[in-house]
Amino acid sequence: MPTVHAESVPRVRGVSRRQFLRVTGAGATGLGAVLASGRAPAIAQTRELTFLTIASFVPDTDKELKRQFEEWGAKNKVKVRLDIIAHLQLQTKKAAEVQARSGHDLTALGPGLGDADLYYDYLADLNDIAGDVAPKNGGWLSPNDYLIRGKWKLLPWWQPPFPMAVRTDLLEQLGEKSPDTWEDWLRIGKKGKAIGHPFGTAMGHSGDANVTLLSILWSYGGSYVAKDGNRITINSKETRQAMEFVKRLYTEAMDPEVLAWDDSSNNRCLNAGKCIAIHNPISAYESAKKDKVLVPGTQKEIAEVIDHIHTPRGPVDRKATTGFWCVGVWNFSKNIDLAKDFLRYHFQPENQNKWVEAGHGFNMPFLQNLTKHAVYKSDKQYRFIPEVAKVTVPPSWPGPTSAASQQVWDLYIVPDMFAQHATGKMTADQAIAWAEKEMQEIYAGRKKRP
Amino acid sequence: MSSGRGFWPSVRPAFTLYLPVTPFVFFALFPLYFMLVTSLKKNAELYDVNAAPFLIRKGVTFGHYALLSTDTLFWTWFVNSLLVSVGATVISVVIGVLAAYPLARLRFPGATSFGVAIFITYLVPPSLLFLPLASVVNRLGLSDSLWALVVTYPTFLVPFCTWLLMGYFRTVPKEIEECAMLDGCNRVQTLWRILLPVAVPGVICAGLFAFTLSWNEFLYALVFVSPAELKTMTVGVFSELIRGDIYYWGGLMAGACIGSLPIVIAYVFFLDYYVTGLTAGAVK
Repeated sequence: MPTVHAESVPRVRGVSRRQFLRVTGAGATGLGAVLASGRAPAIAQTRELTFLTIASFVPDTDKELKRQFEEWGAKNKVKVRLDIIAHLQLQTKKAAEVQARSGHDLTALGPGLGDADLYYDYLADLNDIAGDVAPKNGGWLSPNDYLIRGKWKLLPWWQPPFPMAVRTDLLEQLGEKSPDTWEDWLRIGKKGKAIGHPFGTAMGHSGDANVTLLSILWSYGGSYVAKDGNRITINSKETRQAMEFVKRLYTEAMDPEVLAWDDSSNNRCLNAGKCIAIHNPISAYESAKKDKVLVPGTQKEIAEVIDHIHTPRGPVDRKATTGFWCVGVWNFSKNIDLAKDFLRYHFQPENQNKWVEAGHGFNMPFLQNLTKHAVYKSDKQYRFIPEVAKVTVPPSWPGPTSAASQQVWDLYIVPDMFAQHATGKMTADQAIAWAEKEMQEIYAGRKKRP
Repeated sequence: MSSGRGFWPSVRPAFTLYLPVTPFVFFALFPLYFMLVTSLKKNAELYDVNAAPFLIRKGVTFGHYALLSTDTLFWTWFVNSLLVSVGATVISVVIGVLAAYPLARLRFPGATSFGVAIFITYLVPPSLLFLPLASVVNRLGLSDSLWALVVTYPTFLVPFCTWLLMGYFRTVPKEIEECAMLDGCNRVQTLWRILLPVAVPGVICAGLFAFTLSWNEFLYALVFVSPAELKTMTVGVFSELIRGDIYYWGGLMAGACIGSLPIVIAYVFFLDYYVTGLTAGAVK
């Protein structure tokens, strides 16, 4: 009887039993590994980069950002997703993503640079990107302001500078020309209020209130924290002078409703034909132009009688602040390199140019060359925006940005201090003492972020 | 004399019923009225601080509704809200029934404490829960899907449904269940065939409440879902129509008006059940 060798065992369709076992065994092991890891194997993974940002008041800005994101994705064979939310929702969304250590790869941060300190442990270092971007765009406006604990934890992205939006027809009616100081605006507001057109600036819990009242504080020589970032300096004669001025502005030139205003209220007041002037970015003008809002009782468009002039100066200085909107990359992102690559792409001069143009100049980057963008010469309304940007400083000025300074902003300590005195609830000394105590507790770390 | 006696009974309800109720009806309907009026006003009138806020003087526009339909994904958000609300409601009512029955009927150690504990969980605010839940949702791999909401909404719906149904089940006489058991039904059959048919008003009431709470929910929908096409109506409208310091009030109110309709329709159809379900536990 002939010996039967293994090699002579008939094969089924050319596959031996050993080969079958080897292949199926490897397959099962691989499948098990994939299931255990919860991730698809690299060959099957579609690279996806996600970006969370806030809705710009100029929708074309978001469209241009989306276009650039998709263009970059197509070039690099990366699936991209841009998610847009209202700015008021950003705090909640950031907190949840950090808690879950999961979410978007790129995220908008702000308003304010303080997110870099608050989320320091969760943000990827962007030193390399900041270094790449600056020379191509003429350099950063104030690079030292953006370094947090000596590192670039975010890139300052855009700011809406705060000029004065004024009604030229009413100024003419009152015989006023070229107002330039806060005292000028007190005088004009007083005259305007007498004819039913008061001055308008928020004094409640809103970003606009923080911006304008800090601007006034600095313009009178005051500040709330020293350059060292430790010493609280709110208790000063300069602060008292600023508070006395704001009390007069509130009682003589404004309506009490400003205490309840949110960020949209001053826009509405100007576009309704009521306010003679507001301290605000160009958003009110842009929406009046888009909606063709008329001056009450006339057929004239209100946009035609609005002008934007320099943020006022005070007895000591001319300073302003604004929402510093930034962009960062979470360090728990699985796509840090891709995210950085997109930032490099977005911050290329040609892309920044297109993006600023789409935003009609509302979104001014913190880059030297972009402050000279042609859009600011395209409409006389925008002529002062680069000038305002030059005197715009972070809200903690002259102190550094920190989690504490962000908390002073978020808790509206400065607006509350001014409002308590302006409404007569506290004397200037009492209001300052209250604010000083709050700030000292915040800077000492005894108060937790809300 | 007779005509006088006939007149008074006919007009009495106007003074004893309709007149006293009028302020309450006005108070309840005013927000809806204001939403509707605002959604139909032109932007120029909305900006006018001297215009009468409660009347339309410068013509009606449907532009805000058109903007919702053409410039946003409103109807996608509407469907998402509907899917999530129906899914979460069904799950919550089923779990609520299964939890409420033993707590209302069975005697076991700690039954009362369990009932109180369930109610206390309802009192924990979502603004505290969303952070730990974000981690849970992420670990389950449900982020950025409607399932994230269908799974998390029952965290606040189930305690409420359970508590409401416990009260309702206790109003149903035990004797009818005992008769069924004598006839051979087990616990599950008793619940299914005897108790639930009797407790329909309570179940509908719980369902209505659960649907309303899901439909109006904002925080979890904001945190757990990001893609525009997966947003619910509450978040989508807010995201698209508040741009920086510009609020599209007409569009926001148009969205609110349309968003109110499913709730209004549901309550109109089930109002009797709703009232019965709510008041059943009040009188024993």
